[in-house]
Amino acid sequence: MTGRFKILVADDELIVRESLVAWLKKGGYQVDAASGGGEALESLEKSAYDLLFLDIKMPDMNGIDVLRVVKQRYPGTMVVMITAYGSVESAVEAMKLGANDYLMKPFEPEQLALLVEKLLQHKKLIDENILLREQMATAAVERYQDMIGASPAMQTLFEMVEKVAAVDSPVLIKGETGTGKELVAKAIHARSARRYGPFIAINCGAFTESLLESELFGHEVGSFTGAVKAKKGRLELVRGGTLFLDEVGEIPMKMQVDLLRVLEERRIHRVGGTRDIPVDFRLISATHRDLTKAMEAGHFRRDFYFRLNVLELEVPPLRARREDIPILADFFLRRFRKETNKPVESLDKKAVELLCAYDWPGNVRELENAVERAVVLAKGRILTEDDFAFLKRTVGTVEPQSLEDMERLHIQRILNLCRGNISQAARILKINRTTLHSKIKRYGLTGSA
Amino acid sequence: MVGDGEALAPEGLQATIGVVPMGDVGEVAVRIVAAHLQTVLGLAVDILERRPVSDRCYVPDRRQYDAAKLIAALKECSASWPYLKIVAVLSVDLGVPILRFVFGEAEMGGRCAVVSGYRLRRNEDGTDAGLEVYYERLAKVALHETAHTLSLFHCDDPRCLMHFAASTKHLDRIRLFFCARCAFLLKKTVQTLLESHGP
Repeated sequence: MTGRFKILVADDELIVRESLVAWLKKGGYQVDAASGGGEALESLEKSAYDLLFLDIKMPDMNGIDVLRVVKQRYPGTMVVMITAYGSVESAVEAMKLGANDYLMKPFEPEQLALLVEKLLQHKKLIDENILLREQMATAAVERYQDMIGASPAMQTLFEMVEKVAAVDSPVLIKGETGTGKELVAKAIHARSARRYGPFIAINCGAFTESLLESELFGHEVGSFTGAVKAKKGRLELVRGGTLFLDEVGEIPMKMQVDLLRVLEERRIHRVGGTRDIPVDFRLISATHRDLTKAMEAGHFRRDFYFRLNVLELEVPPLRARREDIPILADFFLRRFRKETNKPVESLDKKAVELLCAYDWPGNVRELENAVERAVVLAKGRILTEDDFAFLKRTVGTVEPQSLEDMERLHIQRILNLCRGNISQAARILKINRTTLHSKIKRYGLTGSA
Repeated sequence: MVGDGEALAPEGLQATIGVVPMGDVGEVAVRIVAAHLQTVLGLAVDILERRPVSDRCYVPDRRQYDAAKLIAALKECSASWPYLKIVAVLSVDLGVPILRFVFGEAEMGGRCAVVSGYRLRRNEDGTDAGLEVYYERLAKVALHETAHTLSLFHCDDPRCLMHFAASTKHLDRIRLFFCARCAFLLKKTVQTLLESHGP
């Protein structure tokens, strides 16, 4: 029952150390020993301890100095100072600095047993308290549905979501890749009257034209080679709920007409079918593209655009709400700590500064990946600037020397932005796919970062 | 009998505990310790030849014998003895570097333990405890320390033999039995030990 508590004994005298470790082990505690202050701090850096027995007089580092560091860096660890007979003054000083108790060598057996039991009970209560406070903190103002943000930009967005959810009109969500457009769509659905119906999402950029048509409208038997069974489309399946069309800018022109008709007539035909099927859904679409430019270029229908864009929401990029970066980083850290079971506790000041200074072209998704990577590879309990060193090496931060370098970096940046989607990247770069492929091969680029 | 009437050693398997009288500890005390180890743990016990208490283990500043050093000395001299566990019984005051005194000491999961009756004869208020109480206390300490050599930790149940007793008052509250959980663990450990050592 006591096995879950971890205790560290720091004393330079081998016999004292061994004796205390042996006694604590008989209590079923997990016990480690350190022969000096420096070694104790190294152990605390590597893993979390519930209780630390700390000798005041140690040759390498005074116990009082170790206590100061422990109380600053690891406030969750309870500390009992060990003193020799006649050094009560130091013990008093230690208590003022935040030590939980002190013992004079040799201890009364009853005193030691009671002290350990009392402190570990106290520690258990503190841990429960911290857990509750963490749960409360994430449930507080900065959290709305599954979105996190205390910045004015996000607070405005949350207010807009609330207003938009109250009506049934189509919504167009704009925002860069990785800003959380789907989360906004889900929040609208969850706050709307359609919340008991399904939320069905489809990424329009992930399908070929014929597949997208079949996915949306469904098909009848024999409508094309391989259609051996009739299949309901998502427009049919979403009955009573919300349909989320992600990357709506990728929908081919022909299908834009079909969808426009569905929005106006509220009925569909399956591919290869003639029967009218009534549909009932709310449409939310999202894009990271500038659809007005696409309209001017003739890639997007004006009437379809106005049908989608009855209500418009814009999700701000992460660089426009830098004050949310520490909250988000902390949220992801706690999530990955739980998932990876690694004892990473927090980010230090410099790491937070680095994260806040970085531009995050991939937005919240990129931040999430960066924190996950740092947690997985972390060696200590506190994430430092070094754990995020890879951000400094990210493409784009190196100054290119030649025109060729510039082209290579630019193509890689666009590929990252499009998450490896060649067609999309080729469109943005205004070159054809074959040219893009040959450049990727020539520069040895990767599909995505 | 481990818990309430349950035998510890599985039938057909035998293992022996060696009980060593040290210094001028009384014969009766040694026989009582041996009898309790045999009855409660259900293991065979041999009383071995009396041995002197090593002067190397004396700590003049504290006017005590260092229990950890006594165990180290016992380990050294008993290396070739054919016993599963060795329990030394003494009548001197014992201490360890961190504790002002101990009634006994054992290597966790090891082979040797030491117990002393020095602090068990008197009650907390200084009155004489009487022989019967003294022998019962000594038996409890011997069982507790021997169980540590069988890898048992301290127990939260205040009446279990494995509960940490910091004073004679605590010791008197403890029964001469292991709680159901400790009894189960003890039985498991002994079975594993006997299977690996053979009968």
